[in-house]
Order: sequence, then C-alpha cells, then structure tokens
Amino acid sequence: MFNFLRKKGFWTILVTSLLLLVIMKLSSSNRQEITLLEKLVRDSYSPLQTGVDKLEIGINNISVGLAQKKEIEEQIGALEIKNNRLSLENQQLRENRAEVERLRSLLAYKQAQQDQYDLEAARVIARSPNNWYKVITIDKGAENGIAGGMPVINPNGLVGRVVSVSTNSAQIWLITDREMAVGAILQETRETRGIVEGMGDNGTLRMINIPYYSQVRVGENVISSGLSETYPPGIQIGSIQAVNKESNGLVLSATVSPAVDFNQLEEVLVIKKFRKIEANGNKGA
Amino acid sequence: MRYFILALLPFLALFLQSTIFRTFSIHGAIPDMVLVLVVFYALFNGARKGMVYGVICGLLEDLYIGRFIGINSISKGIIAYIVGRLQVNVFKENFIVGVIGVIGGTLLNSVLLFILSLTSFEVFNLDHSIFVDMLYQGIYNTLIAIPIYVWYYRSSSRGLLREVGER
Repeated sequence: MFNFLRKKGFWTILVTSLLLLVIMKLSSSNRQEITLLEKLVRDSYSPLQTGVDKLEIGINNISVGLAQKKEIEEQIGALEIKNNRLSLENQQLRENRAEVERLRSLLAYKQAQQDQYDLEAARVIARSPNNWYKVITIDKGAENGIAGGMPVINPNGLVGRVVSVSTNSAQIWLITDREMAVGAILQETRETRGIVEGMGDNGTLRMINIPYYSQVRVGENVISSGLSETYPPGIQIGSIQAVNKESNGLVLSATVSPAVDFNQLEEVLVIKKFRKIEANGNKGA
Repeated sequence: MRYFILALLPFLALFLQSTIFRTFSIHGAIPDMVLVLVVFYALFNGARKGMVYGVICGLLEDLYIGRFIGINSISKGIIAYIVGRLQVNVFKENFIVGVIGVIGGTLLNSVLLFILSLTSFEVFNLDHSIFVDMLYQGIYNTLIAIPIYVWYYRSSSRGLLREVGER
C-alpha cells in the first residue's frame, strides 16, 4: 500500500515542493535586497528590454520622420517638457490653494515650506510578465542611486514604489497592485484620512476606512497623506468615482479613478529624497 | 541544440510577455507563453520530464518577478505532470489536443496560483477582476497556442526539438 514511499521520485517531488513552499513564504514579504540569482536574471533581461524600448522609439521616429521630422520633434519635445512642468506646478498649486484656504480659515497663516524632491527620470522598459501583479521595470538601477522603498511619480500623480533594484534596472510596484496600500486624504475637505489600495486593475483603486459621517463627494481629489514614511504628502492619487457603504455600516469605501494612466506609462520620476512631515506638523529634512 | 532551444524558449517567452505582448494586451491581459510551452513539452515528453521542465520554467519566471518565488514553479510543475499523465491516450497530430491542453492548463494555473497565493499573501484584494483576467488570458493563450503548437509539433517530429535518439 505504501510502496510509493520507497520510490526515489516521490521523495524528490516532496522535498522540492516543501523547499519551494518555504522559499515562497520567505519571499512573500517585502525584501530590501534581492538574491544574486534574481539580480543575474533581471540584469540579463534589462539590456534586451532597453533595446526593445529604443526600437519602439525608433519606429515611432521613422513614422514621424516622413513629415518634417526634426521640426515636429523639437516642438513635441518642448511641449512635453512644458506640459510636464505645468502639470507638476498645477498639482502643487492645487495643493497650495487648499492649504492656503485651510490656513486662512484658521487665521494662523504660517509660511509653508515647499516639498523638495530629488528626482531621477527613468524610462519604463518592461511590465509584469503575468496578469497577477501590476509591476513595471525601469532602466535605472543601483548604479543611478535608486534604492528600494523610493516613491515613484509622474507629472499626473503617484505611480508606485521601488521594491527591488538590480545593477541597471529597478522593479516598481504600481499603486494598482493588489498588495499596495497608500495613506490618503481628500484634498479639499482634509477631513478624511483613509487608505487607498490597489485592486489589481489598472483603471480602479479603492479607498477604505472612510468614516460613515464623512462628506466625501464624487469627483473630489485624493492625495497622499504623507503620514507614512514612504510617500511624500500632497501627491495626487486620483479622484473619487463612487462612494459605497460597507456592510458593517460603520465605514464607507470609495472607488477611486487613478490620476495616472498606467496603460500608457512610458516615463516616470523616482523621488530619491523628499522632506518628511514631522509629528508636530512642521516639515523637516 | 535541442536543449539549448528548450532553455531559450522560456527565456524568450518571458521577454515577449514583459515587452511586446504588453502593447497588444486584450483588456489588459497578456498570454502566458511559458505555460503554453510547458503544456506542449509535457504533451510530447510525458509526465516526468514535463514536470522537471515545468518547475525550471516556473522558477525562471519566479526569479524574474521576485515575489513569492516558487509559486509558478509549483503550479507549472503540477500542470505539466497532469498533462504528461493524460497525453498517453491522445492523438497529437491534431492541434485541438494542444488547444484543449492550454485551456485546461490556463484554468488550472489560475486556480493553483489563487490557492497558493492564499497561503502567502499578506494584503491581497480579490475581486471579479481576477476571473475576468483569467477569461481573457484563456482566450489569448488559445489564440497563440495554435501557431505555436503547429511549430512545436513539426519541430518535435522532424525539426530542432526532435530527440536525438529518434533520428
């Protein structure tokens, strides 16, 4: 009856399965460092992925080149830079306006320090090879000063967080990933602190832990609260699409439409350094 | 040469999945070419060899993703074993066999990943989108399975993937 116990194959399968389950468990939590083998695999892919990215850019350039290539390129380049700058400024201004209104209402205006970011621009060279995870790979890694835990944005808002870094590439978990959660606040009212979590879908986020008495409205902007160490405050996450009452009746949840179009993500900005909010409300380095 | 090609195929599949296929995704879903390859390998080489190939291919995918290392390895190993056990009684000349294998493999892969995920995930939001993804991936896998099967069958019988002893 137990003849299978004498078979070498049975023990090989059993030991391999147990070993893999242990490795799976060990690699499930957030790791700051990846193993040498993982680095080797990723570093072997990144030149090829960069190549494909350049090829795609090249193909686009050829099609544009048929019609006044250089002139259009210059115009597009200048407009893109201007657009990115304006979007960032706009985002900052919206945040500043809300802040000014809040401070005025308290009649205790205090000079606010601007958040200062040390940014590193990077190109998206690859995306998750499966449908379960929402991950992108960028063409900058440890060589460019990128490290695990750094927040990633683009001119429209929050993109995600650097999770692991190899020599010349880094993996970023998007905020739409099922395992991601960001401390968030409603930009206009400031009354609601909640958590925005990913749903594994590029078009939807969910804000949870909203108190039942909250005046949350459809269309309201959701920004990062900055209470966690990971993300700077005031970064646009998305806007409220729908408000739902949870079954326990004590809290609300909201469907949030992300500010970033994750399907069209080509370039991102990694925040290498930012000022963090101190416990007393002042901002410090 | 055969082993070189067999080693190159999952590497190439992962590369395509992470780059070009993302541009041509169906409702955000991309095909699992690694799974397709593992299913076909098991169909032509049996349960034991298939399982080893499935575990190795899954491990490569896990190392690239760097999260829950072993999850794809286990699921693809199991799928290859089941396909390998069932392949004895089927008529491999018909590409429908490959397509059925891929559809079954895709469904089983999703179920296995889901079950294995439950043992490890700390924060994991499950909703209908997983099943929608599974449906689209099933369609996509079926579409790419047909040309790959035709190539794989030819290659296994008289091309690069032919076993040396059968010449």
